[in-house]
Amino acid sequence: METNAALSCRPRDRLKGDTMVVGLDVGSTTVKAVVVDPSTSAIVWSDYQRHETRQAEKTLELLVAIGVEFNDICREHIRIFITGSGSGPLREPIGARFVQEVNAVTMEVDHLHPDVRAVIELGGQDAKIILFQEHEQTGDKRAIASMNDKCASGTGATIDKCMIKAGMDPDDACRLQWDPSKLHPVAAKCGVFAETDIVNLVKSGIPANEILCSLADAIVSQNLSVLTRGNTLKPRVLLLGGPNTYLPFLQSCWRQRIPEVWANRGFNWPKDVPVEELIFVPKDSQYYAALGATIYGLHEPADAGIYRGLDPLKTFIADGRKTTLGAKAGPPLVSTETELVAFSQEYAIPTFVEATLARGQLVRGVIGLDGGSTSSKAVLMDEEGQLLTKQYQLSKGNPIADTKELLARIRSFVHDQGAQLEVVGFGATGYAADVLEESLRADVTIVETVAHMTAAMKYFGDVDVICDIGGQDIKVLFMVNGEIRNFRLSNQCSAGNGMLLQAMANQFGLPVTEYADAAFKASLSPKFSYGCAVFLDADRVNFQKEGFSREELLAGLAMVLPKNVWQYVVQIPRLAQLGTRYVLQGGTQYNLAAVKAQVDYIKARVPGATVKIHPHPGEAGAIGAAMETLRVVRRRGSSTFIGLEAAIALGFTSVNDESTTCHFCPNHCSRTFIDTKTPDGRTSRYISGFSCEKGTVESVEALRVLESRRKALKTSYPNLVDYEARLAFRHFYTPDPIPIEGAVIADVEVKRTLLGGVRRKPIRRPINRSSADAAARRRGIRIGIPRVLNLYSSAPVWRTYFETLGIAEANVVFSDPTSEEMWAEGSRYGSIDPCYPSKVSQAHIHNLIFRKHAKHRLDFIFFPCITHMPTFVAGTQDSTSCPIVAGAPKVMRAAFTKEIDFFARAGIEFVDDAVTLQEPHYFARQMFETWGRRLGITEDESDHACREGMKALRLFDSEMERRGLELLEQLEDEHKVGVLLLGRPYHLDPGLHHGVPDEYQALGYPILTIRSIPKDPKWLARFFKDDLDRGFITTPLSVQDVWPENYSTNSVQKVWAAKFAARHPNIVVLDLSSFKCGHDAPTYGLIDNIINSSGTPASALHDIDANKPGGSIKIRVKTYAHTLKRFQEELADAAAQRSELQRRVELKRKELLRTRRAQLRENALADPRARRALDELQAVFASYLDEDTIVPAVDDAIDRERFDIAPPPPQIKALVFHRSAPGEARP
Amino acid sequence: MNELMLDYDEIERELRLFEMEERRRLGIEQAPVEHWHDPNPQVFTRDERDTTTILLGGLTMAHDTLMTAALSGLGYNLKALACPDLEALRFGKEFGNRGQCNPTYFTVGNLIKQLTYFRDQEDMPVPEIIRKYVFLTAGACGPCRFGTYVTEYRKALADSGFEGFRVLLFQQQGGLRQATGDASGLEINGRLFKAALQAVMAGDCLNLAGYRIRPYEVHPGHTDAALEECKALLSATLRRRGSVVAALLKCRRRLNRVEVNRLRPKPKVSIIGEFWAMTTEGDGNHRLQRFLEAEGAEVEIQPVVTWVLYSIWEHQYDTRKRLTLRGEDDGIAGLKGKDGRTKVMLLWGAQRAVRAVFGVYSRAIGLEGYVLPDMDQVATISHQYYDNHLRGGEGHMEVGKLIQTVERRKAHMVISVKPFGCMPSSGVSDGVQSLITARYPEAIFTAIETTGDGEVNVQSRIQMDLFKARKRAEAEFASAVAQTGLTLTALESKLKRRGRALHHPPHIFAGTAANQVLEIAKIGRRLAR
Repeated sequence: METNAALSCRPRDRLKGDTMVVGLDVGSTTVKAVVVDPSTSAIVWSDYQRHETRQAEKTLELLVAIGVEFNDICREHIRIFITGSGSGPLREPIGARFVQEVNAVTMEVDHLHPDVRAVIELGGQDAKIILFQEHEQTGDKRAIASMNDKCASGTGATIDKCMIKAGMDPDDACRLQWDPSKLHPVAAKCGVFAETDIVNLVKSGIPANEILCSLADAIVSQNLSVLTRGNTLKPRVLLLGGPNTYLPFLQSCWRQRIPEVWANRGFNWPKDVPVEELIFVPKDSQYYAALGATIYGLHEPADAGIYRGLDPLKTFIADGRKTTLGAKAGPPLVSTETELVAFSQEYAIPTFVEATLARGQLVRGVIGLDGGSTSSKAVLMDEEGQLLTKQYQLSKGNPIADTKELLARIRSFVHDQGAQLEVVGFGATGYAADVLEESLRADVTIVETVAHMTAAMKYFGDVDVICDIGGQDIKVLFMVNGEIRNFRLSNQCSAGNGMLLQAMANQFGLPVTEYADAAFKASLSPKFSYGCAVFLDADRVNFQKEGFSREELLAGLAMVLPKNVWQYVVQIPRLAQLGTRYVLQGGTQYNLAAVKAQVDYIKARVPGATVKIHPHPGEAGAIGAAMETLRVVRRRGSSTFIGLEAAIALGFTSVNDESTTCHFCPNHCSRTFIDTKTPDGRTSRYISGFSCEKGTVESVEALRVLESRRKALKTSYPNLVDYEARLAFRHFYTPDPIPIEGAVIADVEVKRTLLGGVRRKPIRRPINRSSADAAARRRGIRIGIPRVLNLYSSAPVWRTYFETLGIAEANVVFSDPTSEEMWAEGSRYGSIDPCYPSKVSQAHIHNLIFRKHAKHRLDFIFFPCITHMPTFVAGTQDSTSCPIVAGAPKVMRAAFTKEIDFFARAGIEFVDDAVTLQEPHYFARQMFETWGRRLGITEDESDHACREGMKALRLFDSEMERRGLELLEQLEDEHKVGVLLLGRPYHLDPGLHHGVPDEYQALGYPILTIRSIPKDPKWLARFFKDDLDRGFITTPLSVQDVWPENYSTNSVQKVWAAKFAARHPNIVVLDLSSFKCGHDAPTYGLIDNIINSSGTPASALHDIDANKPGGSIKIRVKTYAHTLKRFQEELADAAAQRSELQRRVELKRKELLRTRRAQLRENALADPRARRALDELQAVFASYLDEDTIVPAVDDAIDRERFDIAPPPPQIKALVFHRSAPGEARP
Repeated sequence: MNELMLDYDEIERELRLFEMEERRRLGIEQAPVEHWHDPNPQVFTRDERDTTTILLGGLTMAHDTLMTAALSGLGYNLKALACPDLEALRFGKEFGNRGQCNPTYFTVGNLIKQLTYFRDQEDMPVPEIIRKYVFLTAGACGPCRFGTYVTEYRKALADSGFEGFRVLLFQQQGGLRQATGDASGLEINGRLFKAALQAVMAGDCLNLAGYRIRPYEVHPGHTDAALEECKALLSATLRRRGSVVAALLKCRRRLNRVEVNRLRPKPKVSIIGEFWAMTTEGDGNHRLQRFLEAEGAEVEIQPVVTWVLYSIWEHQYDTRKRLTLRGEDDGIAGLKGKDGRTKVMLLWGAQRAVRAVFGVYSRAIGLEGYVLPDMDQVATISHQYYDNHLRGGEGHMEVGKLIQTVERRKAHMVISVKPFGCMPSSGVSDGVQSLITARYPEAIFTAIETTGDGEVNVQSRIQMDLFKARKRAEAEFASAVAQTGLTLTALESKLKRRGRALHHPPHIFAGTAANQVLEIAKIGRRLAR
């Protein structure tokens, strides 16, 4: 440009003068440039380009274009201002003045649209909301801006990825219209979560348009609930950024949801103005940041931002970036060419050669199909287990369509060679297995983990660890003697999967097949921190800014993959303990860069490790399914498969509308019916999209059958999670009445001494009662309490406290259990984003105000800050609540009073004082200070009510323990397995545990809670005998031996319960933790150590959140069920073996005694002493030596009398509890 | 057997052998389960003191250096760990539990990083490392994860191959009664507390002085050079257990030699937030203090001694609340078996002593007008928003400090640093602070979440608000200049006579430059009154 400028300084016609201002916006995915005439502020030139991570090069390209266009403006007359996350290193070389992007946008909006009061900008990597507010006193307009934390999606990058997954063309997306009638749950708080949900929807056959509308709705809701930080977006609202500009369905979604918030908050907006004017997208919206930078520049001194020309930028591109990288960088993937060659020779996957068939040959075989997350794979295997062909299909959005195409290709493979194909069996695994089981009558549908295990063992025999990295999931199986001993699966929030590498390659504009070649060229690599894909992407932007090249970034990302697998998903830093024989499979192994990183990582940590790559890494699941099909079909002698031709010609329809919506519960799940029809007219229906099993049926009659089946199930396999959750909030204890006026009570008189001491003197005095008027007033008071957090442990206290004081049972009102509907309705008050159990409190407060109160007036909402919870665990350092749980009421107060005081508006008083349940005297003082004035009660009355409340809590505990004891004794008697839920109290909430315990109940395993484990030390002693004998603990209720830093009540109880599970032979573990749970995190390692040392089966779901991770739950339940089945068999076998042993020993004893009798008889005649001994023996063992004596089986049940264990307390009859009597026949 | 006469003992013996044989045959021959127990090694004896080095770290670089010197003065061998960096974070993430808060990862990883360096770079065998080193860390009361740091250290040490490495816990809440495991290798006594407090307070004074001077230094780097000399001087003094006050007076003379120009308007930014994240000076908060200075701001930091005062306040508050109950409860705050009155008096004395010593130190180094916060006042103003019973992290202090800063115009902008995963800070304070900023719309408040990555985003958010703060500082400065009726040149010439680096003009405006202008024009003190 400067060359041209030197030739002529004449301005172009478009500019009124001989100066111009350039605004650059270098974002995470694009570079935008504008040229503005400083005299008119008009845009005279603009362009924007995707930079594919080459920000500097793209900036140079745009500056060259500007130079060509305005070649008559001399360099000194050009001022340049730059904004955007990628602008950092470019400022200096081009001489630009930096303007922070939100400030730039704010200036531009203020300049062009002074009446706008809110801006929503969705960028490539970030989301921003700017609110313009007028200061009440000064009238000054000020902008409040908030940007997303890294844990938020709703950005262009996420939408792009989801569009690909949903199989929608970007052009179609730009034409898609908003349709709120068919929305499905999608988590938008995190991009990875959203992608997972999208995959599940795709696999359920939901059409792409519904998926994208659901995504838009989720994004809008997330932004409205978090990014506004509780503020109301008042009109006019400006929508900016790529997604808002180009996606009309997203615009319409904003236009629907924002007015809903206005209506909800009582904001009076101009209803006569069309919503398109109130919430609008301006022209040139993509350039607002760049334009704002120029507006900013015009306010700066004239010497600010003088353009330096292209040369410094070229120099920077050529070598400026490298100079700063040296110290920070890590090693390359390969150091020498020789190393690369050697590695490639050893690990490159051999090319698969399809079978050559003879013309006219009849091929008999089975087909195994793996309907994966991003692609489907199918194999044809002959009856000898030889692989004939394998086919791959990128998901096109519908699993039946994908399957048909794959089957057609298999048929072509055979027919094209002139051979005939007879499919003798069909098996499926993966996301699509369920729908195929129904529609194709598959012989086998097996869970992916078992399929992968089968495939690995086919090629490598006995191995120690199988690591499968697919498009979306990571599965790691730990094997012992050819069986899955344990497994780890990635949850929703994990990166390190194939999709991450693919997405990164896409961002660099590189086909994933060229990933490895590019990564191997890097001479160094940036050091990524492992973790979630969103964080990695943030890191990637940072490294790019620092100047790492594409190749280096790709190498760095490959090297972070093993860290994500072993440190983030598996969480076993000492790999060597797992064994030395590793098999890597899954489609990601085709990427040699990823393989190299994995091999290096494993070998560096496991001496003598052998790492093998599966010869068919992508098809391992399909191979496993085929092998299992072979086995099943051989055993059964026939196949259920509808046949290849019928399958290929299968017609199907997918319906998702009002007619398919489930109305059997308030969730109103939007279901999809996939109806298939074979050429011979046989039909079948597959239903997806429901959140509970009621959704599996279509008619009321079918529902009745289902309900009766459920009832039978509940009777046979009790679910104490469900029972505890209901009992906690019910009236089950009638408190002792407060002594009448004039009754004498014991009290303590407290006096301060002159020196500041305290003197206490026991006294007796008449009780102090409140007036009859006050009591009458109390009868009419209604108090709402949210059904959340530690209320699940303490609700009996509060209910009983209020009931003792004369508040009617019906006037102690708890919010409803958490549901998706409740969350959707009441989730827009938040300003922070903690764990879901805490965040969901807002929906419960909303429920109390807008549902309960609306129906019948509430006077108070009581949500105490419970600082301490009592615990049964002995000798703890403290008994604190989690700080988020304890502080949640204060956060709710802030959220519901920040802009509008919702409590005041409804005439409700929100009471959120702090209380401790650990110190009875202080608790009584706190309760009186809180409620004395409000309820018109005396301190004596309050104290009495506190005592009654604590009695109710004890009764609650003892009832649960009674139920637990009954169940445990039955399990021991029958050698069965029970699942213990290791969770926090609020994981009893069905909206929080997402029905996971019910899944196990449905499989025939009773469910226990921590509260239901008997806490009688004498009863427990037999399980902790060794620990007590060796002095590790002094009581069975201690965790001192495993965790001395035990401060938090719910955490220590969880750890203690893990110890119990490790020692009880009939208990297995289901460990639930909520996403972002700060107090569970330190216990992960402890619980692993405790559980693993005993070999107790355990399944953990550590990141449960607002959305129900259906797919994730399903695969875990199925895999765990595989383990549990074997475990239960082992228990039964062991019991049988013990019984057999006992029998044999007794027989042996008889034999020996007989021998002795014979010996004595022989000697009796000669020896009178032997005669006497023989007589004694005869007398003592007369009955024992009877040939018909039945040898008793081993009985492990405890002798309660012998151990002096108290009998169980009487049963509470508040709730109907289904349970079978011991020994009763089970279905 | 038939040849011998069987007696009952022989029958039993025979049966046991038979049972063992049968167990093997039936495949139920199982080794008893060896349940997991945490070995928790803590033994550090007096005999080992000369041959053992205590590793410590976790505060600012000045604090760590001075703490090392102070404890060396008591006869211990010490080594301060380097400031935790991204490498430490990576170690923390590799060997720590998933889902931990950021300070846990950084600090735990920092220890593993150091031990790995000993092993891999210095070729020291692991048994030797375990024998020669122990790590000293602070414990806490527990509501947040700070209480479980030691658990995390042990897990990471075991998983990284240093099982058996000793972690000693210096319990903040334990006062003088605590012991370290089995031993007296580290004597937790009055001398140790005194030395530690001296180091903390001297470090605070040095840091506060540095952040006051550096933004206005005329020659870049001069302040840091002076601070290094001061640090060396103080270290030497603490090591030989000399007079800290005398050393601080020398530091004052040295620091005052740095040439400054306080007539450059700069936004004053107060950093509050989670204790470690706002205190560290490394990657844990993206080197926030230096970044702000580079962006043209003056930084107001929170001294570590405030944390000490908060700890004392917690006990005072809890004890006072329970003193007149009808009975004494169990529990950490309950008064069963404790003398409440004496406790209240001792705590009152402790906080007075800390304030007095800090007052002497701060005057000695020349921190004009610096006053430690009144903890009761902070508690009172925040109670309605953040109940004083709620604990963990900074408790109500984050909210209280924000209100105080805004109400008293102590800074133009407040940054609250919330490390990723911090429960009290991200999960509670952040929500409450959003209400405070709604109540005080004039506040420029930025809550940032630090994760160790995504530095660009964090810095961008800060720049966004710093722009507003800068404008406010400039407007304030212009207003102050206008009030004086003097020109900037005239003011500058007058300033030369008041050029001491540590001089601090009376507080009227948030900005130092505006206050300096008013002081030069001799209206500052009057307005301040």
